Amino acid sequence: MKRRGFLFSIFLSSILFLTLPASGQDIPIGFFAPITGPAAADGASAKNAVGLGLKEVNEAGGIKGKKINLIIYDDRLNPQEAVAIANKLIEKDKVVGVVSGSYSGPTRVTAPIFQKAGIPMVAGYAVHPDVTWDPKGKKPNDFCFRNGFLGEIEGAAAGEFAVKNLKAKKISLIFMDNDFGRAISSGFAERAEKLGSTILTKQMYKFPGEKDFRPYLTRIKEGNPDVIFAAGYYNEAASIVRQAKELGITSQILGEEGFDSPKFLEIAGPAAEGVIIATNLDRDDPRPLVQNFLRNYRKTYSEDADMVGASSYDAFMILVNAIRKAGTDPKAIQKALLETKDYNGLTGKISRFIQGEVVKPVQIQVVRGGKFHRLAVVDNPEVITPPTK
Amino acid sequence: MSSEFEDVKRLRTQNLELRTQFMLWQQLANGIAIGSVYALISLGLTMVYGILRILHVAHAGIYALGAYVGLLSFRLIGNFWLSLIIGMAGAAVAGYIVERFLYTPLLHLPRIAPLIVSIGLFTALEEAFRIVAGPHTLAYNARVGLGDLSIGGFHLTETQILILFVTFGILVFLWAFLTKTRTGLAMRACAQDPETTASFGVNVGAIIAVNFLIGSAMAGAAGVLIGVYDNQVWPTMGSIPAYKALAIVVLGGLGNIPGTVLASIIVGLAETFFIGVLAIPFPRDAVAFVAMILVLMFRPYGLLGKA
Repeated sequence: MKRRGFLFSIFLSSILFLTLPASGQDIPIGFFAPITGPAAADGASAKNAVGLGLKEVNEAGGIKGKKINLIIYDDRLNPQEAVAIANKLIEKDKVVGVVSGSYSGPTRVTAPIFQKAGIPMVAGYAVHPDVTWDPKGKKPNDFCFRNGFLGEIEGAAAGEFAVKNLKAKKISLIFMDNDFGRAISSGFAERAEKLGSTILTKQMYKFPGEKDFRPYLTRIKEGNPDVIFAAGYYNEAASIVRQAKELGITSQILGEEGFDSPKFLEIAGPAAEGVIIATNLDRDDPRPLVQNFLRNYRKTYSEDADMVGASSYDAFMILVNAIRKAGTDPKAIQKALLETKDYNGLTGKISRFIQGEVVKPVQIQVVRGGKFHRLAVVDNPEVITPPTK
Repeated sequence: MSSEFEDVKRLRTQNLELRTQFMLWQQLANGIAIGSVYALISLGLTMVYGILRILHVAHAGIYALGAYVGLLSFRLIGNFWLSLIIGMAGAAVAGYIVERFLYTPLLHLPRIAPLIVSIGLFTALEEAFRIVAGPHTLAYNARVGLGDLSIGGFHLTETQILILFVTFGILVFLWAFLTKTRTGLAMRACAQDPETTASFGVNVGAIIAVNFLIGSAMAGAAGVLIGVYDNQVWPTMGSIPAYKALAIVVLGGLGNIPGTVLASIIVGLAETFFIGVLAIPFPRDAVAFVAMILVLMFRPYGLLGKA
């Protein structure tokens, strides 16, 4: 009798183990980023920063005693790859939530998949509107949230700063031919013109591939603008800034979050000095949360954290925060995310999400002594509140 | 009072005109600089075609290799001019190896065989750069030591002076080599009729090797120059030149050296003026192909090509 009871208990526990593999102990969260391929530097930043967050949470005992199991995939900046990853995360890994540490391309194609499966996703810095919006159904993807700014909002904030703080009257625009470039420059132009500035030239360059910006910059120089609003990622940003200096252009260059990378500072060298950018990471934010993160990141990876890393970290922590409040049911997590209020994020205080879009101030940083530093904060609600559709 | 106002207004217009004039000169410099680099890349391609009738697509890989070798030696030695020479030498050696071990064994086959090999080699080279040097863009932060040239609003940057200087030097060398030396003469003869040239006792194999060495060294120089001009060296830097140089070579007249130089400068200037003066949002990399189509409609053998 005793022996039978023993066997029975083994039988029972083995069934328990089979039906609840690992997830009985851990909370599975999915993560994807372009860890190899053309955006590998950003993919590495995202992965490193989220890794730091994971360590913090698990070392502090996890969530209600359960450790987080982060399942990491490399999308290689390839949307097809991302679709396969999304399906794998849902069906094989049975994740309760997902963090995107990737660009718009891979993130927007996975959004409808997570939406349909009812798995909440928080995107770190992907900018395309269709991450949080279903263009076919003309309704929000209410399981998808974005910690970064919409291109239009960041552009408008940069425009606000250019006109109100830099007193720019004449402005020239140069931006890359992709969703982000078009969105951010149209947001900028709209705001700057509304505040009374004149846009002298708008030039769009081929992305990826353009390296020689001299023809564009020479044309800009002719108009002699007060401010040049330039959009691009760190390679283009470094080229624009260096070549402008070579050509003797003295106009203030105002960039965006694509500039926000140690790679930009490295390639642009001394030409980066004095360049101003709109971004979402404030290195001089005195909150311990920010300073600890910057210090830990530098200690762990021996390089400075950037906006991509900080945004991905935030996306991860926002999801963790929701799980802490609501438990591990995806639907309950989504509800907790919808109810996010005055969340103390690394990239600023998030007042709430409107149709999945974050509401938080835009940071204006300037390069001084080869590092990004705080210059101003744009928190005008008229500018930073995302439009509802 | 009103005349004073008129004066100010006139002065302003004059200033603007002056500035616009300088800008045109500036764009001219921008266009010729980039066109010169196109010429250095395309010349090797047209020389190889002239003598072997092979479309040497991997030439763009040799160009990127030159940039990487130059950058590596610059980081080790710290002298730009030495790194330029080492980059050219590295590219020349690589070009020679490609000729000896990949093209020569295939010359008895239809020309599609070496073309396929060439495309395969080009892709393999790009991947090799990525694996060895990493996927990131590397900075080629060299001090050339020439200084800028600035006249009013017109500004010839140090790297533009460098490109014009190096390209001019190489072109003069090439001209002197092809017209004043026996090897150069033999090379031109080979391009016209290899069999007859061989019957005069010329070692055609050696001539082909010299041809590859010179063409590849020029591509290597182009790689280093672009590396410094854009301050960037990256694994796929050859992918746009790979097809743009083909268009330029056809535009100039396949195998025609002066035609290739002319076509390169025209394409460089056209790109620059489309973007910077006319401000037509026309894809930059399509300019070479549109020019090629337009010229071929009226001159089927290219700008300076002969039937």
